[in-house]
Amino acid sequence: MERRDFLRNSALASSLFFVPNFVRAFEDFEAKSIGYKRLVIIQLSGGNDGLNTIIPYNNDLYYNARPTLGIKNDVIKLNDELALHPSLKPLQHLYDSGELSIINNVGYPNPVRSHFRSMDIWQSGSSSDEYLQSGWLGRFLDKHGKHPYNAIELDETLSLALKGKTFNGIATNDYRALYKTARDPYFQNVLNYYNDQHLSEHNLGYLYKNMIDAKSSANYIYETTKVKLSQEDYPQNKFGKQLKSTAQFINSGLDTKVFYNALDGFDTHANQQNQQKRLLSIYAEALSSFVKDLKRNGTFEDTLILTFSEFGRRVRQNAANGTDHGSANNVFVVGKNLKTAGVYNQLSSLSDLDDNGDLKFTVDFRQIYATIIENWLETSTDGIISSPQKTLNFI
Amino acid sequence: MKAEHLKHLYWRAGFGVTPSILERYKNATISQVVSDLFKASETTEPLKIDLSEFKGFKTLSFKENPKLIKELAQKSRKRLMDFNIAWVNRLNTSDAVLRERMTLFWANHFVCGEKNVVYAQQYNNMLREYALGNFRDFVKAMSKEAAMIKYLNLRQNVKAQPNENFARELMELFTLGPGHYTEKDIKESARAFTGYFNTLDGTFRFRRFQHDYGQKIFLGKSGNFNGDDIIDVILEHRQCAKFICEKVYRYFVNEIIDKNHVESMVEVFFEDYDISRLMRYVFTQDWFYDEKNIGNKIKSPIDYLVGLSRTVPFSLKNEKGVIKLQKLLGQTLLDPPNVAGWKGHKAWIDANTIMVRLKLPSVLLNGGLIALDDEKDEMRLQFFKKNKSKLPVKAIANWDKFQKEYKKISNEDLDSVLINGPINKGTLGYLKTMKKDAKQKYCIQLMSLPEYQMC
Repeated sequence: MERRDFLRNSALASSLFFVPNFVRAFEDFEAKSIGYKRLVIIQLSGGNDGLNTIIPYNNDLYYNARPTLGIKNDVIKLNDELALHPSLKPLQHLYDSGELSIINNVGYPNPVRSHFRSMDIWQSGSSSDEYLQSGWLGRFLDKHGKHPYNAIELDETLSLALKGKTFNGIATNDYRALYKTARDPYFQNVLNYYNDQHLSEHNLGYLYKNMIDAKSSANYIYETTKVKLSQEDYPQNKFGKQLKSTAQFINSGLDTKVFYNALDGFDTHANQQNQQKRLLSIYAEALSSFVKDLKRNGTFEDTLILTFSEFGRRVRQNAANGTDHGSANNVFVVGKNLKTAGVYNQLSSLSDLDDNGDLKFTVDFRQIYATIIENWLETSTDGIISSPQKTLNFI
Repeated sequence: MKAEHLKHLYWRAGFGVTPSILERYKNATISQVVSDLFKASETTEPLKIDLSEFKGFKTLSFKENPKLIKELAQKSRKRLMDFNIAWVNRLNTSDAVLRERMTLFWANHFVCGEKNVVYAQQYNNMLREYALGNFRDFVKAMSKEAAMIKYLNLRQNVKAQPNENFARELMELFTLGPGHYTEKDIKESARAFTGYFNTLDGTFRFRRFQHDYGQKIFLGKSGNFNGDDIIDVILEHRQCAKFICEKVYRYFVNEIIDKNHVESMVEVFFEDYDISRLMRYVFTQDWFYDEKNIGNKIKSPIDYLVGLSRTVPFSLKNEKGVIKLQKLLGQTLLDPPNVAGWKGHKAWIDANTIMVRLKLPSVLLNGGLIALDDEKDEMRLQFFKKNKSKLPVKAIANWDKFQKEYKKISNEDLDSVLINGPINKGTLGYLKTMKKDAKQKYCIQLMSLPEYQMC
């Protein structure tokens, strides 16, 4: 413990030594405070089957469309119509205590059923015929972020969602490795010698700026993160580790506004049952541990957790005991003081489907973004969400 | 030609320069060098990997055996990785640098993501074939490619239910740019492309009964247009030549447009849409060699990797590692982010990718060590040797080839070959403190600078 403190202090000293004065000019130029409320995004990649996640267990149309896939046993009933998938048992206490809001039929007009394109739409916050090169959270941080570590993705590469027009978050699945790389003494020497008053005006200056950003962010994350805090048991898998690191960062008080996590594998075209069962239990167990961890450390109140998937799946099951790409899907919001907890809105009709046999959307995903931006991050959607969106009432 | 200009030309038209090129052309004129560049790319050598395992299937075989589709899809994903590796190898070793450079450029213009390796390979070779050809023929060939027919839903574009996806991108991204057509033009032109289809093996097929033979009103003209007619109508508009010239200028010259230069390019290109003529024009203009255009471009991840490999060839112990490197750097060939392609320029760089770029040369070529020229270098070397197994990729560098090629370049002059554009004054001061007693060591030091990211 002592040794670690020593390391931290000495490293901090040396990091102050290496950052030249002109860097301050950069750090100040968008100095608006970003506040202390945090947003955690969980992306279920591949298109999670929402109908088998929040199950319309009293609806014959559901069981008719899914003769073998429809889930009858062990569902966790929420009300007269909807029930949780048995794997989501660990989340039941969140529902019961009013800390979970389930928003049904979330989508967008003219839905695209390609994973990549639809994920782009969700991450960039665009409409389906619009190609944006920046992400919705990136644009938020263009306005309110100062350092790359204001948005952290727990992965090797940075998602579009965290890329702004000028701001870029930091992606790291191993912040210690990033720290070690950035600390290479050669880079330190280069930056000690480097001088330029007009850092951002040309491309080379932009490279140096990013080099400085990377070094100071890596330092910051490493120095600020307290390793011993987490006493919670997380499932031993990649997703569990991601959420554990996220909790570590949050509980260490990192000045990070957005954390981005993903769980992949939801593209269940064949033999869906076991695969989804396994994935949902990974999700629910890790999320439950995460919330407990935050509660234990008094940080849950200032954290909002949003779970989404790029699309839902077709109502009718296919011949391979799976489901094909669909459109509207449910979104989960987890947080302490939700205005509307429980089931936020009714599930769309299972008889009035679109031409593809998919659920019709009733909530635009950008309404959820707008609500989060205005009511949680407490800023205006100007320049972040391009089309006007009516906010919702969940926070 | 001045070394500085040769370097510039070879980085923009190819993937970097070598001392032998600088030596060969030191007394040549620009037009001689450009002429040689075109000569080396005169013929097209298709890039092909063994795909025989995908031959001989009929639609019927899938109906009888639905599992087969899944199996083939899995195999295809694996072969697509092989094709990626083959493409990178081609970029690393080909002498037809201009054709390969142009192929890369067009791959990010006529953007297409395709998981079926047979179609992807065919599409890639179509790009290579037309890369220096006639733009008109190019657009028409592109519209009939199986990969494109699939990617932009031409297959679903039938008389009874036109799908606008291809028609929209054809104008917005491939030929005119936004704002030069109406939604009505999209609808009308979509009708003209109805009936486009391909057989399972990737051959274009026109389904007459799905085609709308009726009259279309498109960009102010009316007629019983088919797809090729629509492309002809688009190309009658000077805006199309302008749109392409602007894109060429941003990629090959400077991301900030000079209107006069672009206008002079349009003058050339609009005449016959001959891509070779346009490129020859660009490379031989004085303004191409203006100081502000030299070394001002941020290398793409592929430029960076290929340039590195053309200076110090390296092989990876696991050849799939090259895909991991592309992913870490933010550009995986054959896997574009969307139909708009990679944005390029500053968008390549964020805090993560810059650190990967700065650290990678030492990891690939020197076991992770960047020497500091102080008494602790030996200690660091021992540290990296001991921790060799922790490196993210294992590579073997061919330093012999580098030493041979750079024999006549003095250690002090190494930066003038490896670095494009000006070096920051402070950093230059740091370089002055270096011993430069070993070429290999200094090479790594130079490659680990932000300046090395420029071309």
